Formats: sequence, C-alpha cells, structure tokens
Amino acid sequence: MNLPRFTLIAALFAAAPSFAAEALRPLNFANDIVPILTKGSCNSGGCHGKSGGQNGFKLSLLGFEPQEDYEHIVKEARGRRVFPASAEQSLLLTKGTAQLPHGGGKKLDPNSEDYADLARWIREGMPYGKDTDPKMASISVEPAKLTMPLKAAQQLKVTAHYTDGTTRDVTKRALYEANEKAMAETNDTGRVQLFDLPGDVAVMVRYQGKVSTFRATVPLGAPVDKLPASRGFVDDLVFAKLKTIGMPPSDIADDGTFIRRVTLDITGRLPTAAEMKDFMASKEVGKRSALIDRLLDSPDYAEYFANKWSALLRNQRTQPMYARGSYLFYSWIRDSIADNKPYDQFVREVVAASGDLDQNPPVAWYRQVKEMKQQMEDVAQLFLGTRMQCAQCHHHPFEKWSQQDYYGFAAFFSNVSRKPSTFASEEMIFNKRGVAQTTNIRTKEAVTPTSLGGQALKLRPEQDPRQYLAEWMSKKDNPFFAHTLVNRYWKHFFNRGLVEPEDDMRETNPPVNPELLSALAADFVKGGYDLKKLIRTITNSTTYQLSAVPNTYNAKDRQNFSRYYPKRLNAEVLYDSVNTLLDVQTSFAGQAAGTRAVALPDNSYNQTTYFLSVFGRPDSSSACECERTQEASLAQSLHLLNAAEIQTQLSRGNGRADTLTKDARPDDDKIADLYHIALSRDPNAAEVKFAHTHLDKKTTGKTGDEAFKGKKEAYEDILWALLNTKEFLFNH
Amino acid sequence: MLNLYSHPSGGFCDGVSRRNFLKIGGLAMGGLSLNDVLRAESVQKSGKSHKAVIMIFLPGGPSHQDMFDMKPDAPSEIRGEFKPISTNVPGIQICEHLPRLAKMMDKCTLIRSLADCDSRHDAFQCLTGRNSKQQPPGGWPSLGSIVSRLQGGTNPAMPPFVGLAPKMGHMEWARTGEPGFLGVAHAPFQPNRGGGTEDMSLRGITLDRLRDRKSLLSSFDNLRRDLDATGLMGGVDVFNEQALNVLTSPKLLHALDLSREDPRVVERYGKGENRNRDDGGPRLPEHFLAARRLVEAGARVVTLAFSRWDYHANNFGQLREDLPLLDSGLTALIADLHERGMDKDVSVVVWGEFGRTPMINAKGGRDHWPRVASALLACGGMRHGQVIGATDKQAGEPTERPVAFGEVFATLYKQMGIDVTKATLTDLTGRPQYLVDGHLPMAELV
Repeated sequence: MNLPRFTLIAALFAAAPSFAAEALRPLNFANDIVPILTKGSCNSGGCHGKSGGQNGFKLSLLGFEPQEDYEHIVKEARGRRVFPASAEQSLLLTKGTAQLPHGGGKKLDPNSEDYADLARWIREGMPYGKDTDPKMASISVEPAKLTMPLKAAQQLKVTAHYTDGTTRDVTKRALYEANEKAMAETNDTGRVQLFDLPGDVAVMVRYQGKVSTFRATVPLGAPVDKLPASRGFVDDLVFAKLKTIGMPPSDIADDGTFIRRVTLDITGRLPTAAEMKDFMASKEVGKRSALIDRLLDSPDYAEYFANKWSALLRNQRTQPMYARGSYLFYSWIRDSIADNKPYDQFVREVVAASGDLDQNPPVAWYRQVKEMKQQMEDVAQLFLGTRMQCAQCHHHPFEKWSQQDYYGFAAFFSNVSRKPSTFASEEMIFNKRGVAQTTNIRTKEAVTPTSLGGQALKLRPEQDPRQYLAEWMSKKDNPFFAHTLVNRYWKHFFNRGLVEPEDDMRETNPPVNPELLSALAADFVKGGYDLKKLIRTITNSTTYQLSAVPNTYNAKDRQNFSRYYPKRLNAEVLYDSVNTLLDVQTSFAGQAAGTRAVALPDNSYNQTTYFLSVFGRPDSSSACECERTQEASLAQSLHLLNAAEIQTQLSRGNGRADTLTKDARPDDDKIADLYHIALSRDPNAAEVKFAHTHLDKKTTGKTGDEAFKGKKEAYEDILWALLNTKEFLFNH
Repeated sequence: MLNLYSHPSGGFCDGVSRRNFLKIGGLAMGGLSLNDVLRAESVQKSGKSHKAVIMIFLPGGPSHQDMFDMKPDAPSEIRGEFKPISTNVPGIQICEHLPRLAKMMDKCTLIRSLADCDSRHDAFQCLTGRNSKQQPPGGWPSLGSIVSRLQGGTNPAMPPFVGLAPKMGHMEWARTGEPGFLGVAHAPFQPNRGGGTEDMSLRGITLDRLRDRKSLLSSFDNLRRDLDATGLMGGVDVFNEQALNVLTSPKLLHALDLSREDPRVVERYGKGENRNRDDGGPRLPEHFLAARRLVEAGARVVTLAFSRWDYHANNFGQLREDLPLLDSGLTALIADLHERGMDKDVSVVVWGEFGRTPMINAKGGRDHWPRVASALLACGGMRHGQVIGATDKQAGEPTERPVAFGEVFATLYKQMGIDVTKATLTDLTGRPQYLVDGHLPMAELV
C-alpha cells in the first residue's frame, strides 16, 4: 500500500527540472501568468480580486477573466505596472516582492520560478498569446484514489490538459483543500498529511477554474469478525464500508434506548412512561418495526417534520398581518406530510405555486422569497443540494457552474409576477405571459430557462417555465433531486449527512459512502418519492439501531456510522421535554393550550419565548438547516440551570414535585417514574440511593409542614438535576 | 433586574452581600477558588492584558460640529453656542465642554470625515461596520460576535463578548451586537437585560441549595462523554461549569460590581443616573468603568450605549448636560487603560449613527445629517494625537479623506490580531464572507 507513494515522490523529484526545460516555450497570459497571480492570492476576494480591486489595481476574482486582467495589468496605471525595457522595475514585480511598499506584503520570491516567468513575460513584451494557442481543458490529479494508513502523507501530482493534447505539470500552482479538516491537511505544494482519524477524506484541487478531487480511504484496520444481522441494503453498504476500513460496529441498542431515540427522531417528543413500559414488556418479534409504523402514523410525526420544512420553506411571520398566511402555509405543509404526499409533488406544488393564499397556501413561499435570484438560489440549495450563489458574479470557484448556468437556471422564475390578493397585505402569484428569459450580466445576452447541466428551453409565451423545472427535477435520472432529499433525511436521523454540509453536494465534496447515497436515492425514486417509506428504510436498519456506546475501536468515528451519534435535543424538542418532565401545559399566544413548541406554525414565537431563541430555533430566514444553531453557549447553560420560568415550574403547587410529594407511594416508585419520563429507563441502584440520600437530608428531623416542604424541595432538586443531565439533553 | 451600578445597599438583588460572595467563592463549588480569582486578578494588575475593543455608542447621532469638529468662523446659525478650546495637541481644537479630553488629545484620534452613514436611527452600522441593507440570510454578525467566533473566550468564567446596553424605548439603539449568521452561541452576554440578567442571579434558591443541586447533578450525570465525538457534550459541560461559576463565584459579578473598585477611581468616571434618557440609553459613565473591568476579567469586546443624542430641540442645553459626563467617563477610561498598561491592547471607539445638520433649526435643535459624522478613537496601540479628514466650513460635507465605517472596523480587527484580507466566515448559504468588504486598516492609525 505504501509502494506507489514512494515511486510517485521519486517521479516528482525526477520531473522537477521540467519547468526549466520549457524555458523557450512562448508564454501565454491565461495559461502561464494568471495561475501565478492566483497561487499568490493576488486575485483573491480579500485583495485585488474583490469587486473594485485594491488601491486602484483590480483583477478578476481567482483569474476567471484573463482578458480583463490583461487590460488592467498592461494598459492601466499609465503602463507603470509592466516595463519591458527593464522588467525588474515593473510595479507588478517590485510590489509583489515588496521592494516597494505593498499592502499585501511579500507575495513573490525574487528567486522563484514564478518571478522568473513573470519577468520573462514582461521582457518579451507581455504577449497575451494567440487565439490559436491551446486552452486548458481539464486537470487531473494523481493518484485520484488511494488507501492510506493513518498519519501517512502523500504528494499529489496535478496535470493540466490542453486542447492541443499537450499536458503540463501544474502541481506547484494548483490550490488544495481537504473537506474533513480533522482528518487531513494540505500544504501549498500538494502534499497531503493525514492525522489519526480513520474514514474517507477528499482533497479538492483547483487550477484556473478547473477542479479535480483526490480521495483517500484511511482504514483503521481492526478486525471485523462478526457483524450484526443486516436488515437490508442500508446495512449491507454500511457494513461493507466498515469491513473495508476495519472498524467493528457497536452493539445493538437496548429497547429503552431505542424507543427514546426513535420517538424523539420521528415525532420530536419523549415517549410516555406507559409507551415505554408497554414496549419493554412486549415479546413481539417485530415490535421495533411496529413502533416505527405507529409513530409515522401519528399526528406528532407530521407536526415534527412540518416544523423542519416550515423553517426551510421560510414560513416567516415578519409582520402581524402575515399570521393568516403563515398558518395556512404551515397547515398545508403539515397536512402534506400527514397524507404522505409524494415528495416530488410536494416540491412541485411549492416551486410552481400560483394563485391566492386561500386556494393555494404554498404561494406564501413567494411572499418571503421575493426575487428571481433568491427563488432560484433557494430551489438549488434546498431541493438540489447545489449552491449557486457564487456564480451570480463570477464562475463558481469549486464547481462547474458559470454565470451562464446561473442566469439560465434563474430564468425559470423570470415571469413570476404578483398582484394584490383578496387578503390585505398578501399577494397573488402568477406566471406573466411572455417569453421567459433573463440577462447574463457578464455577456449582456438573453438566457432562456436552462436546467443544471441541461439545454436551454424555448418555451411559448403562455407556458409557465416553473412547470418544466418541476418536471426536470422529478425525472427519474435527475442527479440532484432525490440524492439531496435522502441525504437531508439521513442527516436528520444520524446527525451526519453522507455529504456534509447536506446542501453542498458537488464533485469536489464527495459522499463518505457513495454507494449508499446512490442506493438510497434509487430506492426513493423507485418507491415513488415516498417519505414515510424512506424513514422506515432508515429507522428499521440495524445501522440506525446500533448503540451510541463506542467499543475499543470506534470512539472517534464521525462518518462511518459504526455507532449512533448522539445529538442534543433541538430548541423546540428540549422545551417540550422540559415541560413534559415538569408536567407543565405550554401556552403560546394564539395557539390552543398544550400546543407543543414543535407544532408552532412560524418563527414569531422565537421573540416571545426566550428559551426557543437562546437554544437556537431558526428564524426561517434561509433555506439552510445550518440556521439552526447547535452550538452550546453560556446563556443556554444559565437559562437551563437558573431560569426563573423553570424555577417557578419546579416549585409551583400541583407541579410535578408537589404531586410527587403528595403521592403516597414509596419513594422508590416515584423516583422510577421520573426516570421513565425523562430517560425512558429504570434508575440503577446507585441513582436510587443518591435520590434517597437527598430526600433523607431534606426531611430528617422534620415533621408536618416542615417535612412536606423538605420533601417537596428534594423532589424539585432531583427534577432539576435530571433535566440538566446530558442523558436528558441528548438523544443517544 | 440585576443592577449593580447605583445599588444603595451594596448587596446584590438576592440579598447576598459582597462578603458572602467572596466566602462562597472560596467554597469553590467545582468552580474557581478564591485563590484562583486572586491569582487571576494579580496577573491582570501586572499589566498583561489581551487584545480587546470597548465600543461606546452615542444613540441618536451626536452633533459633530458641537463636539469634535467646531466651526467658529461659520455664521452664528451654524456655529452654535459653544466655543472651541485648544487641546494638548497644537492645532487641534474641540468643544469647551470637553476640557479634560482636551488635555488628553495626544492619546486620541478624531475622525472628522465619516462619510458613509446609513441614514437610520440604528446602532447596527456602529456594531457591524455594515450597511443594514443587502444583508445575507441571518444578517451580518457584529464585531463582538465575529471575535467570539474567531477567538473564543480568554477564560472559563467570562464570556468573550458582553453588551451592556439595557432595553430602550427605541430598540434599534439598544442593540448590543447581533450574532447574525453566526448564530446565538456568539450572541453578546447581556447582563443588563432579558434572560441574561434574570438568569444570572439566584432567586429563591440559596447557595447551599444550589450546591446540593450541583452535587445531585454530578451524581446523576453519568452519560459517557465519549459517546460524542463532536465536542458538543464537552461544550455543554464547559458552559455549565461557567454558568455555575457565574452564579457562585465572583468573576463576572465582580467585574460588574463597581463597589469593588477604589472609590477614587469610580469618582473619576463621574456619577451618572441609572435611568434611560427618554427612549435612549442611560447617562451612565459607570458603564465605561464596568467595560474596563470586564475586559480586565477577560472579555474581548464590550459594547455600551451612552445617553441619547437626538437633539432636534434644545441642542445646546442638552449637550451641556451630556458632555461633562462623557468628558469625565471617557477621560477616566483612557487614563485607566494607560495607567494599567492596557492602552496598547484595548481599542476604544466613540461614535453615533450619523452627524447633525449644519443649520440650527427653529427649536434650537439640529436634525439628522448622514452626510458626515465624527468619531473618536483612543488606545489600542494606534498612532494618536491626530485628526483624520476634514469637512467644509459648515461641517456639512467631508472635504478631505472621506472615511468609511468599514475602514474603522478593518483597523479594529487588525488591532485584535485578525487579518481582514484573509479571515472569512461561512454564511448560511455557504458563501465565505470577509469581515469587511472593500476596506483596509487605516494607514494613519496603524
């Protein structure tokens, strides 16, 4: 496994003088000069590459527009930037080497090849190159794929391929970036250094608008002798991967852990003590599958997933008069999920929504996503896992997308129009009759609707281009649509997408288990975009049902799914769970008493409920799941440990502590009750003893009211402690 | 509400006295011991400090031409009632009602040509350096949130970013610095309002009881931490520990408790009033002192809002009330930072959202004037004793070196050790965003 690496390094050393051998080759500005400026980050967004340039000198971002750069270097500043009669005195070189004061410091070493090439180019009279000069067509990286031991290193070799069939080694001028920074780092000259984490890592290689990827599989190499039973293709593919990298999976989670996990993941609530006890007592063979079915058929499932989609579909109530619209849209989402509407139809009804709110609630999406470009960017990110934003102003740096692709895709929305609705402050959405097209801001030419990677459509004026967009998305061979959804749902359950971030799927950010992603997508398409079926496939897998407790080998695993990765309960679920534990009926303005935070229709409650905002409930202001903050903070800890609201609920009359104190059953039973509600398990002997000790401490030597008060306080303290344990705060 | 600035009894709201806090600190409920605190304090007094920013926002738009950019040769309906006085830097004059500042002008820089004011009554631009239009989803993060994200905390008992402004009638002035697309984990800690305050002080729970609870929690909290490889579980532990420190040990509370300060120092800052000026902020130079103490305790960015400067009427009468306290508070802060060896590390910025009209209106006031504003910078290891930029003879338009808010922010980031040409943060759409767009640190200052 090590051999190829050494031969490769040897080959590189042998190839080193090749630049010198090329010395007499005529220089071409785009092929030879611009890459030097890119590698030196002269044309980065922080320096001369930003719109407007830097101190009067502007370059195109990352060198995507060589003609413009040529103009700026050769013809601007009265020609002082380049001085053929004495090339070394050119500003380009004296500034770049910091011989003259340069805000960016020294970017160029006077003894480097880069400097020599720049100087020669100036000396030779700054040739732009001929139209007939070969253009770069692609780059390739060697090796493209390799299995490497932990902590190993690998030198990459990058080759540019030109239209005339020639190639050139551009290793030194390419840019490198690893997708999992915890697994590997790269240096400027293309050396990849692995750390001690097993799994898959990809290194994106960029050179003048072309990209390629190096993928390393890094096995742990532990023996994987026995695997739990596979229950379908998900397990087959996950276990195959675990075998390849030599990482044995954890054991299967016990019933108590499973019911808490799956109930939280599907319905966003804790299982009740009764549900837990029934489930534990059942001897039925397929009881886990039956539980999954029961949860999916409950209204709680629809509410919890409507909460997820409502945020992503920007169901915002930014003004009080939007309440009607946000309620209608929320209800539409919830009902669609409850009815298990096929996902392609669900998306079509949003993307191609027309008409008035009352008849067609998803037009509310167009109220929050106002402009053509936003509509296109949201659709690309949310439904296609593709971030097009960069390509609005320049070629996408990590992707094949150009501005032509950007405006072509945006053109699907070019005829979306509004007129006053029958409801004050809302609008009716319709597709204005006319030829759908928009303008590419660079070429100034009209572009008609073009799907990603597809051909420009010529539609008749009466045709609504959004229908064609929806049709293209739900074509069986669409490479984005199903992949994006299954990855999003996979992440919902496993706390880690097969691609991370879940809405940034591109060639240079490959999935950790490509076969699994493809199989899930294919199964989803074949099943008619059935979301419940997808959830069944995921949650019935042995993989999902593995324990979170690591074995000797997999504690550091963060991407191979060798165990369940715990996740903190999100803001809404945590709020509901605290209230469940404290036996509090929630009340939100305008909602029926007892409405769960998970079932709130829009973002407006974040303002009135500090708990929800401090724990990061999203404001529905973007199509990204990342808007939901999952980080810990001091304010969160202070709130959970010491919020007046929680203290009041702990100590109030007829609250959980009060009821338990009045309850005549033995303390052991009552302590067990609390564990059942909070953690879906029996307390162990030590925990019972801790609780007893505290109860005794608070009641010893007291009688009557004093004893009652002491006991109640003791239960308050026990409840407080339980709701601050990690076991309560996390789904595990 | 926790109010430590003009508390009559010298105790805290929960009735625990300062002395008790000290004792309890010594009990070290899993937190900092008294010794730790004393050691930390002694390190701080030795003059070693970290890079920090204290941002003083003057809500409403202070009149630049009556404070920092006087025009004595203009007609009376423009020049107003105040006279300029000379400062300890030859050639620089400022308002006669800022006499102490005049003696410290060598330690300050005046920018007289802030030229890209967003014309809104909003602290946003002073906190982010950005125009509030055209924000990315989630919004632009403020300086403090960015520093919190990039540099984290300096110690476990102090949040890196603290915003002292209380709630105000006009909430856009009360902003302490939103985290924007960085998310709530990087929001400022706000001891003077909302959840922040209420959650910081124990109500109805004695410290003994909290100690019982803490020991129960450690008995019950047995989930294996190695279940989580992402660090989140450990993060919750760290913040829980920090929160219990805040509740039981003195660091943050002490920083906010000005009765712990030498009374002569407190006096130098001036005595304010803990009451909002109309819909603006409180006129409390004590916040300047609290900001210095918070930085000493480990905060990296402290924002505060001082009084209310939207003088559409009786401009001069109101300034006569505001300027002396601004003068004493600001000069005491600058002197303190120098005396404590923090002047190279802690940058101070004083500004408002825009300037005011050259022409005095019929009510003796001046109206909004976003075409130009002044700002004062001090300390932070910058070159001082200078004026940057100039306005025309009516103080109406910048005539020399127009300065953008973004340039001031680029300078502040540089002084925090952050390279604005390199550092980026990824927004919610996955786009890397620079901290400042299109501006570099100001060559005059650094």
